[in-house]
Amino acid sequence: MKVSDFERMMAIGLSRRAILKTGASLGALAATGTILGAVGSANAQDASLRSQILQIPGVGKGSPTDADWQKVGELCLGATKRSVKQGEFAGVQLSFMGLNNQNLHNVIFRGFLKSWEDYTGAKISWIDLAQADYNPRLQQAIATGTVDFDILEMGAPFEGDVCGKGLASEMPDWVKAQIDMDDYVDYLKAPVGTWDGKTYRISVDGDCHNFNYRADYFTDADLAKAWKDEGHKGEWEVPKTWQKVQEVTKFLKGKTIGGMEAIGYLDAPKAWGGFGFYFLGSRATAYAKHPDDKAWLFDVDTMKPRINNPAWVRAIQDVIDALPSESGDQLNADPGTTAFQQFLAGTGSMVSWWGDVGSGARTSDTSVIGDTVAFDILPGSDDVYNSKTGQWDKLPSGPNHAPNMAYLGWGVYVMARVDSDEKKKKAAWSAAAHLGGKDLALWMAAYPSGFQCYRKSQFDTKEWVEAGYDEAFISNYLASQSNSYNHPNAAIEPRIPGIFQYYSVAEDELAKVFAGQMTAQKGADAIAVAWEKITDQLGRDKQIALYKASLGV
Amino acid sequence: MPLVTNAPFAARRATPAGKHVLLGRALLAFATVAFIAVLALQSLDAMGVIALGFQSWRPLLYVYLIWAVVFGVSQVMIRGEAGERAAFVLPAVLFTVAMVIFPTIFGLYIAFTDWNLSAVEGRRFNGVDNLRTLLADAYFWNALLNMVYYVLAVLVQYAIAFGLALLLNAEIKARKFFRVAFLLPLMLSPVAVSWMIGKSLMEYRFGPAATLARYLGWDNPAFFSTPWLARLSIMAMDAWVSIPFMMVLLLAGLQALPAEIKEAARVDGATGWQSFKEITFPLMLPVSMTALILRIIFELKLADIVINVTAGGPGGATDTVSSFIFREYRDRSNVGYGTMLAEVYLVIIIIFVALILKGASRWMQRTN
Repeated sequence: MKVSDFERMMAIGLSRRAILKTGASLGALAATGTILGAVGSANAQDASLRSQILQIPGVGKGSPTDADWQKVGELCLGATKRSVKQGEFAGVQLSFMGLNNQNLHNVIFRGFLKSWEDYTGAKISWIDLAQADYNPRLQQAIATGTVDFDILEMGAPFEGDVCGKGLASEMPDWVKAQIDMDDYVDYLKAPVGTWDGKTYRISVDGDCHNFNYRADYFTDADLAKAWKDEGHKGEWEVPKTWQKVQEVTKFLKGKTIGGMEAIGYLDAPKAWGGFGFYFLGSRATAYAKHPDDKAWLFDVDTMKPRINNPAWVRAIQDVIDALPSESGDQLNADPGTTAFQQFLAGTGSMVSWWGDVGSGARTSDTSVIGDTVAFDILPGSDDVYNSKTGQWDKLPSGPNHAPNMAYLGWGVYVMARVDSDEKKKKAAWSAAAHLGGKDLALWMAAYPSGFQCYRKSQFDTKEWVEAGYDEAFISNYLASQSNSYNHPNAAIEPRIPGIFQYYSVAEDELAKVFAGQMTAQKGADAIAVAWEKITDQLGRDKQIALYKASLGV
Repeated sequence: MPLVTNAPFAARRATPAGKHVLLGRALLAFATVAFIAVLALQSLDAMGVIALGFQSWRPLLYVYLIWAVVFGVSQVMIRGEAGERAAFVLPAVLFTVAMVIFPTIFGLYIAFTDWNLSAVEGRRFNGVDNLRTLLADAYFWNALLNMVYYVLAVLVQYAIAFGLALLLNAEIKARKFFRVAFLLPLMLSPVAVSWMIGKSLMEYRFGPAATLARYLGWDNPAFFSTPWLARLSIMAMDAWVSIPFMMVLLLAGLQALPAEIKEAARVDGATGWQSFKEITFPLMLPVSMTALILRIIFELKLADIVINVTAGGPGGATDTVSSFIFREYRDRSNVGYGTMLAEVYLVIIIIFVALILKGASRWMQRTN
């Protein structure tokens, strides 16, 4: 371990004991920076409530159950009780559309809102959708104008479709006060959640891909020796660039750790309803997102795809090159497989994912890597492609990092169809505000929920440690997210209509590439042609305007 | 003399008065004109030729229902008792038109539009663009080629099903148990099978099938990561669900065969194989054809197992036309093109099944 790394850890308040206790986290902590300073502090009463809910069921005590969700929901009902009288919404029927991924999302919302229903008298019916069915169901509702739900769990990429068409209800001021929007991390503040200057979204999640790795791999003496013996440059350590990730992945092929097969990075080549494209994106942003250019998927003035430029082609080629060194059936792995059936179950040493990996590592029944997992922002690249000059640039500041703000997090939106009925409108916003509450947010980030940190107040490591999290582990986990959120070169996803159509056709072409049926360049060219067609179909001028707006250009 | 008569009723209705006939015809003409006018106006509005601000097709639905009621009433007024009898079939006709004929016509119209759910403009007629796209779509042709493999696999399923049916038709021990056991997969949803077999039994690291394969010396039993193996694995799962269906049909056929013929053959000294080749198989041809044609039709719709286990991969190796259409609708919101794919595929299936039926009937005639 480097002295500088140790000093940096001490500087953020880690004890020597914590550092020594979790040797697994040492490599990761090198990246733990100074971003945890801007933490919103809660008052004493809140602190006691937050401490109380974090003990339900308790870190290391298995996955939470419906009873736990109900209990947490009930304890967090204080804000609702201040703005709503008991029984005020008697007779109100609301319908809520959202996901049921991994038996989370809507499934836990039911539990959280059970006490809200009992208190207010309103009743909620649920429309649960699988991840892959979500987009078409929503698009169909938008296109046909048949919005048959009052509250919607939705990602920011759809705001152009929904808010732009006047289908959402504008957030009342009392809701803004109740959920404390100032507490949101900066990248989730306006324009995210707004349209034409009006606010529509209650955030319940912040999204970015971070880098999850097995620290025991990078502290393993045998592997370190083999690394040296094979003549690799530098120390055997956690890769900081994709170039190193490739090198490590190939190096690990055929080796063992603890008697088990050692595997490097876990790619997700199998299609996943469009969402799989994010994982190529996480490999590509360091190559494709130049600090001097906000755009990285399309040219901002023409919507000409950049997917077939040298940066993206290099990322695609990286996957092709790495797959033979990964698990034997990696070609049939989608992102759900890589995170939950491989990485958390002990297969592989590196994976890019949303925060679910970290929040589930020590709180999920299926995780076996809680003591060895560590986190960082996505790897960087020694050079970055400059789309304006057509050259690869080496930055004087060192490797280029560009964390992938994949999906911008889930939010809860109220539909405009409730606006004509004041009682129903208030009920819908009250339910949404309950889910977007500050205290509930902390619990959702700490336990498996499908959501990760999105508020400054969630980054107070003391609260997590009191809940039973290991300080080194949680500091490292939160830093990986916070460093991503606040990164000056973050790759922000465009909030443009049809974004998943672009991703979906890309998945089809990439499947061919990864199966060896065409080269990376040919596959990328085919994606570019398909993307151009989609842009023309959806209206190029409108897409350009929305793309510019989403990038703040 | 009949016990029950409706003579007074019939007498009242049998010959409607001239003014009733005239009024009935006028009513029907007026309702028909109104129906055609609303249809034309709604269509022109949908195509953007005129702008009347229709938000949905509900006006056409309402006018259709009104027309149907008027049609029923007018038939009674024009034809009397005969019209009343005709009115009895009106609900069935209404249902058929609403649930079969209208969706078919609407689907045909949609197939010639550029309807994408994300497009602000909604749908626009785009002539034969979708057809052109389809003809140049490598994914469609790849999926169609895969369907050839899947259909050929049905022949293997048939052979296995026939073998099992013969086995269960014979006097074997625990026959009832085996009948129930072999039928169990038929009761499972293909989605459940996808998870039970594809995601569990054949799982790469800990699945029993993979463990056994390693034990037998296969280092890398990745059932879904090489094109042909993935295709064969899907076929195996599909067979596991489908063979019982054919087996039941064939078993029923075997049990219906007259025992005397086989008995006579045995007396004449025919071997078991000769008896099967010359008697059982030819006599089973009608049942075999029914089983095969039904299975082929089901096979042509194969999608659920593919979507769940491989998502059409690796590289489209397991993609079926149905799973491709599903992706076009679900992931890309491409309603226009997806509908064109579905319509063309329907035509292909109809032609294909018609050819099979024709060929089968000729073959059976020759055999008989």
